[in-house]
Amino acid sequence: MMVDQRKATALIVDDEAPMRDYLRTVLANAWPELIIIGEAANGIAAIEEADQLKPDLIFLDIRMPGKNGLEAALELTRQSQVVFVTAYNEYAVDAFDRGAVDYLLKPVDPERLQKTVLRLQERLAEKRAQTATTNNVKVSDDEMNHAAQSQQMKQLLQQIMAQQLQQVAPPRQYLRWIQASVGNALRMISTNEIVFFRSDDKYTLVQTDQAEYLIRKTLKELEDELDPDEFWRIHRSTLVRVTAIAEVTRDFKGKQMLGLKGRSEKLEISRNHAYLFQQM
Amino acid sequence: MKPQNDNPLLHAVLNVTEVVSVLWWKFFDWAAVTAWKALAAVSVIVLILGGFIGAGPFAVMLVLSAILIKSVAGGKRRAEIAATEAVTRADVESLERRLLEAQMAALQAQIEPHFLFNTLALIGQFIATDPKRAAEVHADLIKYLRAALPQIRQEGTGQLGQQLALSQAYLNIMRARMQERLSYDIEIEEGLSDAQFPSMMIQTLVENAIKHGLEPKIEGGSIRIAARRQMDELWVEVSDNGLGLDLHIAEGMGLTNIRQRLQILYGSKARLIIETPFEGGARFRIQLPYLQG
Repeated sequence: MMVDQRKATALIVDDEAPMRDYLRTVLANAWPELIIIGEAANGIAAIEEADQLKPDLIFLDIRMPGKNGLEAALELTRQSQVVFVTAYNEYAVDAFDRGAVDYLLKPVDPERLQKTVLRLQERLAEKRAQTATTNNVKVSDDEMNHAAQSQQMKQLLQQIMAQQLQQVAPPRQYLRWIQASVGNALRMISTNEIVFFRSDDKYTLVQTDQAEYLIRKTLKELEDELDPDEFWRIHRSTLVRVTAIAEVTRDFKGKQMLGLKGRSEKLEISRNHAYLFQQM
Repeated sequence: MKPQNDNPLLHAVLNVTEVVSVLWWKFFDWAAVTAWKALAAVSVIVLILGGFIGAGPFAVMLVLSAILIKSVAGGKRRAEIAATEAVTRADVESLERRLLEAQMAALQAQIEPHFLFNTLALIGQFIATDPKRAAEVHADLIKYLRAALPQIRQEGTGQLGQQLALSQAYLNIMRARMQERLSYDIEIEEGLSDAQFPSMMIQTLVENAIKHGLEPKIEGGSIRIAARRQMDELWVEVSDNGLGLDLHIAEGMGLTNIRQRLQILYGSKARLIIETPFEGGARFRIQLPYLQG
């Protein structure tokens, strides 16, 4: 019984200071006995603080610089009970519900918060009771239980993160911006704007809808780095954006020529690359 | 008695004249715009058939008049027809473009629920600890929503001053949240407030700068908006000293949307230019024709 009376401790993690204050206020009302032993402003700081302070609970914002809440949680769940805090019913909330993960929605609804607090109190009590019995007999069983739980949590977090990655950050394997030096800055040209690249002596010419640039990257390097579904090599010296292609025609010598959307010039298709257009 | 039965003969004659006249103009149009080769081929057939049915002279007359029409009126008539078609097409196109622009403007910089809920939580906190600031953030949120809600936002072109005021309200809210992690500065050349500027484009750039440049940076940074007149163009620049662009992440819908809307509204007279200054961060500049509102 001694153990249960020890007051629970918590760490608050959010990159925005007023939001940390907000959580303090809200928790002070809903759970006056809870002691806030520390605060952190990003995922990396949270891990350091948690190592030192060993809080029972960690209230963890999801969107944060450095390490986000989900990434930090992977390392934090071992010793503390993590409660995610999010401002919006986003991707993760469904998964939290299914995986019985604790979370708070900002702005906090007092009734919901009361339920969450009750559940957290129960869990903490359970955990302490377990630790108490562990001290006596069933060492291995409970430890395995706990390990299994934390393993489950990890899997769930990884699932959510994979899902989040797909939605928030698309795969980043191909080059999507071309840099050209203009004046005292680097001009950034989105591959969406580029109509074609043409090798031109020592340089490569970049043709966009509205302008031309010269860059030092060779056509070969570009071909390796760009998305092969976005740009096609149609000639030894030409790389063209697939969505800019309007038509393929033959000139009077029987050479295949490529017409571009909204542009008058024609690009030659070499024999080696003619196969690209056999279906068209 | 019904009038058309008054004089059936006259009526019939009128009818026939009308039919002949319509047929004649159809023939005229056809003769004027058809290719010489086709005209020659049809002439031969008409002459042969005319000979068979004993209407040789009529067939010859028809062919001769067709040739006459073709040589005299051909170019002009063809141009007229092409012009009428082009006008109709242009009307439809311009209507379609205006509609498309309106749709894209509505899509531009939609309000993020995440932003809204966080701001409401912030106001709740300030009500308890700092009511004056709560009132300020509350006022800024209203200003922002008035200009940013697609349902009440005015479509097409807005005014530069009003677009900057919207972004200022947004930046005030973000500064209340991020505190010392965000600073901003807005500079507008005198007399440019009434200049026409499309809605929500600056706001998209500002939100991008916060979301991709500054929020993910632990120490945060600053945003600068500058508007100036450059000859007969208006230049509006949004720059930040954040993380900069990741060369391997494709541009988002926001930027693509701006570029397409500029194309629809100004054709090749407007541009979106993106640069990374050597000292880091990112700089976005919209250049478009200067038009007094």
